[in-house]
Amino acid sequence: MDHLMTVSNLKKSFKDHIVLKGISFEIRQGEVLCFLGPNGAGKSTTINILTAVLGSDEGEIRFKGDRISKKLRSYKQSIGIVPQDIALYEELSAESNLRFFASLYGLYGSRLSDAVEEALLFAGLQDRRKDKVKTFSGGMKRRLNIACAIAHHPELVIMDEPTVGIDPQSRNHILSSIKKLQNQGMTVIYTTHYMEEVEVISSRIIIMDHGTILAEGTKESLKEDIQNEKRYIIEVEENGTMEHDDFFSVEGVKSVKIDGNTFEITSLKGVENLDRIIALLSDHGEKIRNITSEAASLETVFLKLTGRKLRD
Amino acid sequence: MRRFITILKMDLVNLFKNPVLVGYNTVFAGLLILILGYLCGGDYSESKTAYQYYTVSLIVYGMLNGAMTASNCFMERDIKRANLRIIYSPVGSFCVYFSKMAASFLFNYVLHTLLLLVLCPLVHVSLGSNPVFFVVLMAPVELAASAFGIFFCCVFHCEETTSTLLSTVINLLCFLGGTFFSLDGMGSLMAFITKISPVRWLNEAFFTLSCDSSLRYFWPVFITALVLSALLTAGCKLCFRTEDYI
Repeated sequence: MDHLMTVSNLKKSFKDHIVLKGISFEIRQGEVLCFLGPNGAGKSTTINILTAVLGSDEGEIRFKGDRISKKLRSYKQSIGIVPQDIALYEELSAESNLRFFASLYGLYGSRLSDAVEEALLFAGLQDRRKDKVKTFSGGMKRRLNIACAIAHHPELVIMDEPTVGIDPQSRNHILSSIKKLQNQGMTVIYTTHYMEEVEVISSRIIIMDHGTILAEGTKESLKEDIQNEKRYIIEVEENGTMEHDDFFSVEGVKSVKIDGNTFEITSLKGVENLDRIIALLSDHGEKIRNITSEAASLETVFLKLTGRKLRD
Repeated sequence: MRRFITILKMDLVNLFKNPVLVGYNTVFAGLLILILGYLCGGDYSESKTAYQYYTVSLIVYGMLNGAMTASNCFMERDIKRANLRIIYSPVGSFCVYFSKMAASFLFNYVLHTLLLLVLCPLVHVSLGSNPVFFVVLMAPVELAASAFGIFFCCVFHCEETTSTLLSTVINLLCFLGGTFFSLDGMGSLMAFITKISPVRWLNEAFFTLSCDSSLRYFWPVFITALVLSALLTAGCKLCFRTEDYI
């Protein structure tokens, strides 16, 4: 696939706080690139720089080979942005909002009317077109928020956590809409901290934390690294004597995390060692309350890379 | 230009759909003039009635408060979020703040002119032998007030801070300028402060137009307000940063 955008060595600080520590990545034509990371990872700052609202301290962004700072207007014309907050005029109707925002991108007359119709269809709001936005549910507002960004048919759509705080039906509608956008040839950058969304829509994933890129690849390639591992979560009545090092006497154990009465044990997949771990716990007088076993998932990839859960 | 006009129209729609702003600039201002005029009754001074005094001085007060309309139009929380899309779009950043300035100017100018059209015949207030001068002089003052509000927003990046500061500054200047009642009888120091207050001179310009039909202060006020508007607009260009809108 061709590179639509190339980002090199992006750095940003706010006073003494370093938010981005020199990240580089590229965006390929027609893909859905998901940025995954907990709050404070630097996702929104990256997005704000990509939307040209925020300047970077260092680094370069090229869109179709040109530096965006050199061709800012044409770059802005080519992108659509879905901000994290609902960015709509609440006192106006869905149709008026769409007409206004689309006209800012140079659409007038029949082209504008067609674009508005398409966007209303996309958002599933044809029946509510004349209603004021303030009468809409959260999910409807979110859908309209996206429709306003794609009405002018941008080449690249940048979405910053567009599904925050909505019901499952609206979330599903939005996720299937993103797949539709991709099928129409649009490229999408999508930030989220919902792992399940990434599983559904991503072509490629960038995992960020503390202003750096920890890993990059397809969900399959990211999982591959830990395909040979499995994770046991063992809960005991009351942890008395067990320490990290005790577990490493069992063959195949790679890492151990102790959180109160819960042990998270990562082990090599081919080694059948659960019975020996249980025996070890019994020898130490621990009473097991619950055991679960997890296969490789994006959540485990993330946990391995960052040492914390996505929503910690 | 077409996109600027589109944004301007939307800003005007948002302002005229705001019942608080419309009410404040029409019903509230009108009632205040009527009540104060009635309470003070009779002649306020040798040359003007109480209605005359409060109509002119409270219209000047309303014009200055146009700065708050501008800050509301620019950075009021809900509007600001939607305005963020204008920043994302391929329009120059000049359009963003200048459209707000123009919209709040037009909004205030239209409403204050309408208020005068209703009030003047109702309470027999004269705007001078040729009221056109009075209405024309209102324009640069309204523009300067709007520019003042937008400039404050560009500097402080926040509607709440801007409104608090503007409200304090405007009310203080108006109080010291004798907008609500004359301070001339409150000692020589107050009389001196009143004399140097810019609002006093603004009032003076409109009073000489309405009571004496004199153009003595017309051009100085007209030109000063226009120059101030231009300077404040230039200041906005220097201070406005798109990231303040995030």
